[in-house]
Order: sequence, then structure tokens, then C-alpha cells
Amino acid sequence: MKIVLYSGGGEEANHYLNTRALELTGVDMPKLTFIPSSSYDAEEDFKFFVEEFSKLGVQRFMHFCVDIPFTKTLLTEVLKSDLIFLGGGNTFYFLKHLKKAKMFGHFKKFLKRGGVLCGLSAGAIVLTPHVHTASFPHFDRDDNPWDMKNLSAMRLVNFEFFPHYKNSMRYDAELIHHSKKSNLPLYACPDGGGIVIEKNELSFCGKGHVFFQGKKFTISNYLG
Amino acid sequence: MGNSKLKDSKTLKESNTYSKFREIDGSHPLKKNVPEAVVEYQVRTRHGGQVAFFNFDLAREIGLLPENHPDELTKELKEEILNTFSIVIINEYDLMNNFNFPKDDIRPNTFMATRYLQLQHPCKKGTTSGDGRSIWNGQISKGGRTWDVSSCGTGATKLSPACNINKKFYQTGDPTVSYGCGYSEKDEGFSSLFFSEVLAKNGLETERVLGIIEFQKGLAINIRIHDNLLRPSHMFNHLKQNNLPTLKRMVDYYIERQIKNKIWKNVPTETKSLYDYFLNQVVETFAEMSANFEDQYIFCWLDWDGDNILMDGGIIDYGSVRQFGLYHHEYRYDDVQRWSTSIKEQKQKARYIVQTFAQIVDYIKNEKKKTIDDFKSHHALVSFDKRFFDYKNRNILRKIGFTAKYADFLLENCKKDIEDFRNDFSYFEMAKSSKGPQKVPDGINWNAIFCMRDILRELPQIFLSRGLTNLISEAEYIDIIKSSYATKADLKRSFRRDLKIRSYQKNYIKLINKVATKFKLAPEKVLLDVSMRSSVINKYDRVTGDSITTIVQKVMNQRPKLSPEEIVVVLREFTAYQNLNPDKDRKVSNFEAEKEQSRLVKGMLQIVREFRDGI
Repeated sequence: MKIVLYSGGGEEANHYLNTRALELTGVDMPKLTFIPSSSYDAEEDFKFFVEEFSKLGVQRFMHFCVDIPFTKTLLTEVLKSDLIFLGGGNTFYFLKHLKKAKMFGHFKKFLKRGGVLCGLSAGAIVLTPHVHTASFPHFDRDDNPWDMKNLSAMRLVNFEFFPHYKNSMRYDAELIHHSKKSNLPLYACPDGGGIVIEKNELSFCGKGHVFFQGKKFTISNYLG
Repeated sequence: MGNSKLKDSKTLKESNTYSKFREIDGSHPLKKNVPEAVVEYQVRTRHGGQVAFFNFDLAREIGLLPENHPDELTKELKEEILNTFSIVIINEYDLMNNFNFPKDDIRPNTFMATRYLQLQHPCKKGTTSGDGRSIWNGQISKGGRTWDVSSCGTGATKLSPACNINKKFYQTGDPTVSYGCGYSEKDEGFSSLFFSEVLAKNGLETERVLGIIEFQKGLAINIRIHDNLLRPSHMFNHLKQNNLPTLKRMVDYYIERQIKNKIWKNVPTETKSLYDYFLNQVVETFAEMSANFEDQYIFCWLDWDGDNILMDGGIIDYGSVRQFGLYHHEYRYDDVQRWSTSIKEQKQKARYIVQTFAQIVDYIKNEKKKTIDDFKSHHALVSFDKRFFDYKNRNILRKIGFTAKYADFLLENCKKDIEDFRNDFSYFEMAKSSKGPQKVPDGINWNAIFCMRDILRELPQIFLSRGLTNLISEAEYIDIIKSSYATKADLKRSFRRDLKIRSYQKNYIKLINKVATKFKLAPEKVLLDVSMRSSVINKYDRVTGDSITTIVQKVMNQRPKLSPEEIVVVLREFTAYQNLNPDKDRKVSNFEAEKEQSRLVKGMLQIVREFRDGI
């Protein structure tokens, strides 16, 4: 299983993770698909995605929205990609439409056949068991105007992920509080950081932290 | 003392801020230049109006508001808008019945309704037709450019069809006649607003809505702006009446205005050449406009009278204007007494308008009127036909996603290849449902079944993924283009259709390869570029006429809770989303830009999606 979780941040900041994600594909001319969290102005996000990965020599890109109807032809082509990248945005909206489009099963098969699945921010959270981490801290959380109750997600990893983490008291207070109620470790990464999963091994990029049963630990070994 | 000084300075400041409003007082050069072309009315204040919408962006653009004016409808601004635009004419009925209006309500200047040809009038020469419920408020200038300002819903004039068909003058607001009563409705204003702003954002010439003043019972005065509100029909009436002096003055007025507005460049000074130049401009305008309408699926009910369109090809009167999601080329609007033209027939109507202008120019130059048939083979029509297809070729390249630089190269060097591709494209675009003609709420349609925007958007991506040597299968092609209108029977494969599917792809690849070879690029690079541009140009959800109608209902339901300022925000957000220009300014992104649309705009986008294949 090859998964890359990105916290977020600008183009430069994610250079290491981008390079690592491409290496994981194991092919010289990989095919990449960008799946935005919402089709609203997604063309803009796709342009930036293309620009960023073009710098690394990629030439073949696809763009696929899950919140508008799509054809079987395009979906089949998307699933033939070497790398699928789930963009950021509103986690609840993204989760709602991934479920509606029945994408979870497709992604699991995609990973099974050796594809690399990447997610940034909301796109990373939906790869974990549930999306509770999008609901806090109270000063920086995603809106849930659809009042989604079932927050279970893809469950591809057995930990929670908190993107855009800032090493500060007010973040820690909420993360520690949450970790007391959860029996899963919660990995918090700053922008530019993330987690690379290859087979069953985790490696970290950037200075991450883990919150578990009310305690905070700093991850001392990290790459990039 | 101190307070009074402060007050004085505040009043002075406000009076300067809004001083431009006072220039809009009914004055217009057409009154003096071509007095026979107008009917002047005294006007009075119409009380009870509220500003439902004001277009701040447009007001700043035309200099009505200072550049730094915020999007805030202050009490003073409201008063200025109402004082300037909340007026109603004192018409023939009022005069015949000796109505006494308060002296303070009567404005010092007259306002004009203009005369033009209209096919729905009994007199086919345009002696009685024109603005039936509109008056021209005047003009406004900024930076050497002048705009005309007119308002719809300002009272029943003697130029309305009702007045002339029934041979009687109507009191403004008479409930026994609809259009002839002289009022217009709020939903008309909002429809025009949303539609025209979307089309203007996408580079089409159109009237634009400056403001909407609402009254009881859903009535409104809708204020519109364009840099020249003259229509071909403003000239055709004088031609039909053999009135050379008036016709000449009207044409001269139009020419002078275009030159003053710097819209025309390198204009000859010699009189006869000037008229030839004018005709050439008409050819260019109408060839481009009709090609654009056809390719962007804009239905505008063009007809021989030259009404419903402006001289510069701009759209006016959104009542029957539509944008289709598919090429519904059999749709006809039911106007009770007649069926409208179809989108396909618009080109012939535009061509006939050009033919009429050839007749006009000849009439002016030789002072002798020949029949319209004498101009059947006029060089202007030859030129029109050529330019129409030039624009069609350019449009298809743009739709594919080629940049202007690549398109210029292909247009110059690969005309045959473009036309081959356009023929394949047209084959699918024109395909109709086996169900046959169907009634629709406002007319009749024979549904188109394929959405060509989808194949333009998805094919380059699939080619990028599979490589240019691997064509997609016939079944895959149909899977992509099938619309919600297509039935099982419509999707049946045939030898000819399969042939066309392969031909479409081969001709598409040929164009990509020609550009790649010329500019020494990898075909994949060209394809990627085209793919990204095409995803914007051929966005999944593009507005249609039906979606605008539904969106306007949604906005109206939110009134009066939704303030004019909030409507401005919603409109701006909505039109930005519907801006299908791939070269528009991009915002900074890290693939996760927050999508902070208001709930109302989200609802609008949902409507656009639901109606995306419709009319």
C-alpha cells in the first residue's frame, strides 16, 4: 500500500513529498490524476497541480471531479493512473461526494494494484478512519452545513491525521482533549510536512507530533 | 455655526460625488440630429419606488460613481437613483384626459422614445413602431467614451404594438394589456441582469443592467446601459419609408458616434469611402455575431426587421434570449401570432440584415433606392459568407482549447483540416432525438442529444493518458457525449456514426500534431495545454436560459431580505464562476482554496447543473 498524506502549504514546501510520491509510482512517465474536493473553480487548482508536477517531469495529467456526474469511460481511465491526488477544501463536502460516487471501493482496488494515493489536508483526512479532526479546533475548522452525522471515512490507515498543525498551546489543548477520547494515535503535521506510507511502514516529513491518550510526543526522526 | 459649516461641506461633498447623475436628464443628441426618429414626452416623478439593485461595478466603469465609491447604497445614493430614474411619461392618454399632475413632480426636460421597425406592428414600414414602454434617459461619458442610458417600464408610449393594433392610446398601467401597459416587471430586470452579466463576462456585446427600481405588484423600472443603443431597425424604418434625408442623418449619427467612441479605427475621411467602411463594419459585426451565437448556442430571435439586436451585434431585450446547453437547433419560441426563427436560421437573418445595409449604403451614395433583390449578390454578402466561416473556424479552435497563437497558425495554414474537424463536430452536434418534435413550456423543440462540450473537455485528457495513437472506442465516445435527452434508441451505433467517431478523433489529433510540429513541441505538451484550457471553456455547468429563469425565481424569493448590496456580491460570485475565459486572472492556490460561496450561490450552481442540457 502506497499512501502519502500532505498537511498543506505552498508549492515549494511540498517539494520533498511530491518527489517521494512520484518515486513510489516506480514508473518513468507516471500518469497523475487530480481529484479536487469540489468542482467549484477546480480548474484553477488543477492548473497549479500541473505546474507543480510538470517541474518534476510529469507530462500526463487528468482531472476528475466527484461532485458532478462523470462517465464510466473517464472513471476507468482515472483508475488506470499511477498516482491519484485528492485535493484540499471542505472535508465534509468532499467526504459526502466521495461516498455518493462510491469511490472508496475504487481507491482500495487502486491501492491493491500498486497505485499511489495521495491526499492533501481534507484529501488526507478522508483516507483515515473518520473525519473528526476536521471539526476542531473551534477557531479553525471546516463548516458542516450539511450536518453530516456519519463521519466514517476510508479507513486506509489506523491513525488520525491533523493537517495545518501549529505548535502552540491553543492547538495542543484541543488536540490533547480529543486524543483522550480516541483510541487511535493522532498525527499532527505542519504545512509542508506529511506522512509517507509504503507497505506498512510510516515515515515522516517535517516536524510532526503525535497525540495519544492525552499526551503529546514529538516525532524525532523525520525526512525532508 | 460650526455644525452648519460641517453640514454644508458634507452636502457639497455628496453633491459632487453624485453630480454625474444630474447629467442624465433626458438630453440626447439624437433629439437634435434626427428629430423625426424620436417621440418626446414630458415626464413626472413616479413615487413608491425602492432600489432593488444597483450595479456598482458598471456605475464606476461609466463614471456615474467615483472609482473609490464603496459598494454601499447610502441614503443619498438611493435618493439620487430614485430622483434620476424613478420617472413615468405623461402620455397621450394622460393629455387627452386632462390629468393634473402635481407641478413639482413634472421634470423640466422631455425624454425620448425612439422609432424603429418592428415586425409585430401592423405597419411594416415602421411609421408607428418603436420603444413601447421605454424612454432614453440620456448619455454619460467617461474617458472619451459615451454610453446611452435607457429605462424600460416608464409608461405606455404611442409606439407600442397594442396602441397601434387596437388603435387607441392606453393609460400607463392599464391591466387589460400586458406589454402595452407601459410597465415592466422585476423578474424581467433580474433575468436581464444575470444573463447579461454572464454574457458580458464572456466577451459578448450586450446591454447591461445599471439598476432595478421595484414597485408594488412585482413591477419595476429596469435601467440599461450600452455604448450605443441603436439597432438596425432604427435605420430600416426610414429605408422602408423611402425617407432618404432622415435615413442619412441616422446613419451619419451612428458613424459619428462610433468614431467618437473610438470603436472604429482608421476610418476614411472621404464620404463615399466612409459609407463603404460603414458597410464593411456591418459585415464584420454580423458575421462574427451570428457565428458566435451559433457556436455558443445563443438564441436571439433575429429577424428581417433588425430588432432584438444592436448595431454592434450586442444583445438587447432578454425576453426571448436564451442560451442552450446543447445545440437545440429546432427550438422555436411561440409568440402567439407567430413562431420565432430557429438558432440555425439566425445566420440567414443576419445575412439579410447585411443585405439591407448594402441597400441603405447604395441608397445614400446614389440617392436612388433600388430593390432589396438587387443586392442578392452584393459583394458584402460574399464577404459575409466568407467571414462567417472564418469566425466559425476560429470559434471551433477556441473551443478545442488552442491559444490565439496556435489558432492563428492553424487558420492561416490548415484551413482544410479545421473544416474537416468542424464537419465531424457538427455531425454530432446536430444529432436529434428519435422522439421527434416535443412541446416545451414556451414553444417547440426537437431535442439535440449530444453534449459536445463534454467530449472537448474529456478527450484530450484520455489521449494524454493513453497516448495519441490509441483512439477511444465508439462505445466510449458515445458514453462521453450522450446527454440527458438521449434515449436508448438515439444511442444506437451505425456504420456512419462509427466512421464519424474515428474521423473526429483523427482530425483532432491531426490539428494537435500540426501545432506540435510547427512550434517544435511534444504533442503531449500541446495536448496538456489544450486540456487545461478546454476544462475551463467547456466547463461542465454552463448557464442556460432555463437555469437563469429558475435562479431569478430563487433570488426573487429571497427579496426583500436580500439587500441590493448582497445581490451585488451574489452576482459577482456567480458571474465569476461562469466566466469561461481560460486566460482570466488566476488566484493563488495550493490545491485547497477555500470554497466560500454563499449558500445562495451554491444553490444557483446546483440549478445550473440541473438544467445544463436544456434550453
